Amino acid sequence: MKKNKKEKVYKEVESYSKFTWKTLLLYIVLAAFCVIIIAPLVIVLSSSFRDPSNMTSPLKLFSQFTFESYAQAFSRMKYPKELLNSIITTAGSVAVVVFISSMAAYPISRVISKWSKAFYYFFIAGLVIPAQMVIVPIAQNFGRFGIPNSRFTPMIMFITCSLPFSVFLYAGFMKSVPKEIEEAAFLDGAGVIRRYFSVVFPLLKPATVSVIITQGMWIWNDYFFPMVFVSKSDQYSLPVGMLQFLGDSQNPAQWNVLFASCVLSAIPLIIVFAVMQKQFINGIAAGAVKG
Amino acid sequence: MKNNSLVFPKKLYFFMLPALALFVVFWVVPIFQLFYYSVTDFNGVNYDYNFVGFDNFKILFSEGTLVNSIKNTLIYALLVVVGTNILGLAVAMALNTKLRGKTFFRTCSFMPALFSAIVVGFIWSYVYMPGSGMISSIIDLFGGDGSNVNLIGGFNTALIAIIIVDIWKGFGTTMIIYLAGLQTVDESLIEAGRIDGCSTWKLFTKVKLPLISSTITINIILNVIAGLKAFDYSFIMTNGGPGKATNTLMYTIYKIAFKDQMMGKASALSVVSFIVIIAITIFMLRLLNKKEVEM
Repeated sequence: MKKNKKEKVYKEVESYSKFTWKTLLLYIVLAAFCVIIIAPLVIVLSSSFRDPSNMTSPLKLFSQFTFESYAQAFSRMKYPKELLNSIITTAGSVAVVVFISSMAAYPISRVISKWSKAFYYFFIAGLVIPAQMVIVPIAQNFGRFGIPNSRFTPMIMFITCSLPFSVFLYAGFMKSVPKEIEEAAFLDGAGVIRRYFSVVFPLLKPATVSVIITQGMWIWNDYFFPMVFVSKSDQYSLPVGMLQFLGDSQNPAQWNVLFASCVLSAIPLIIVFAVMQKQFINGIAAGAVKG
Repeated sequence: MKNNSLVFPKKLYFFMLPALALFVVFWVVPIFQLFYYSVTDFNGVNYDYNFVGFDNFKILFSEGTLVNSIKNTLIYALLVVVGTNILGLAVAMALNTKLRGKTFFRTCSFMPALFSAIVVGFIWSYVYMPGSGMISSIIDLFGGDGSNVNLIGGFNTALIAIIIVDIWKGFGTTMIIYLAGLQTVDESLIEAGRIDGCSTWKLFTKVKLPLISSTITINIILNVIAGLKAFDYSFIMTNGGPGKATNTLMYTIYKIAFKDQMMGKASALSVVSFIVIIAITIFMLRLLNKKEVEM
């Protein structure tokens, strides 16, 4: 009896690489699923290559190929400016987040005291607070401090909102970095600041990658803070620039341009993802599994 | 606990200053300000406001705004958590086999997560549009009458429609976390289960699921947090409508604060949201911690 089962197990393991009805079924289900998931994106892409007045059924895929809609979307969005604003705010915010959240996590995971635990939970608790809830008093305080609306103003909130998750991630990761290295550095006479920046921080690289990916993604895609804190349209980033198309989404006659602008706004991140797919997958997974 | 370490003295806490300063000034203090504004009739511009006691809360309750938006948010969060996790886990299980083209399927599932919520909102506005939208056109193609199908405009279906959008965008991230969790499962334990005569279903529920319980916990927590923050698709796709069918807590707060210019009332609703969110988070952490220990 037992022997039989063992043979069956052996067969099952073997059969994965071969083409059996079971794997075939799995392929069919997965392929069908992917078609459903990707269908809206393919239609958007195909319609974006039509000219703005061509409104024949969007389901006829890639029936026309012109950049007419892209040209209109490009100029309406002020694409180069918006792209530059997006890059500046995202890169700047992420750099600051990496710097200050790793520093904040350092004492939390190293100093043995009930305060460390308290600070840890204090930071994490910030994770559950939605931005829409606190935006009114925040905007008020910005006014009180005399912080003007500019392309850089949302960065303050991007950084603040990224802190809880980043501190959580760094603190979790730092536990796996051996303390002995630092003790050696201490005996060699390195001060705290030197020890942190030249010994500890380089060892945190996997966590840093994870913070850059997870926080960079939401900051790049966020439209809420720029919507509240940026008033001039030439200071808009890509997502908030999309807001001007809000009325068009209800009007089928404008779709091709709208779709072209959707593609234009999404393409930079897709390119980055295509180039660094491995870092994205590992970064997202590490972010959740390590902590 | 006393810390006498020479290598890690308490002065290390100075490292925390920049982060702590930002966090307290721009995130924690505003929460306390909400409590203060919630008992005033502050309009956001004029600083000579009056204290109105609990009037804001009473109005919110008697209007039905309070119950309606809490109900919508809870339904939203619950369905997003269930949908995202089931879909994410199922796809992760399918991809955790020795399959050709795994990377392709993984990329397809993760693709929607790369798009900004506002782009996703536009794309799905087209998908749901009655008459010439994607769903209507496909029904027409198969000989039905697609022009009557209006998921996003129907009072009973609008909330479900935007929940589907959220799941579509979010399940890829959840799937990647599950995939990482499944890859840490020791194959020999599965093998042992098979040899002992476990059926595939039992192997799944009694061996695999308990082994990835910490991954399940983190995914549920992340999705509950995201679900309670529901704002994007009510804002971009439905404006809270039809009627009040897609008024979530966050969207209602935004609308009262920025469209009606009633900061006091918005703050009162924020205070209620704060209490609801904290209560759910604590309840959930307790429940999940218990479950994890049991397993």
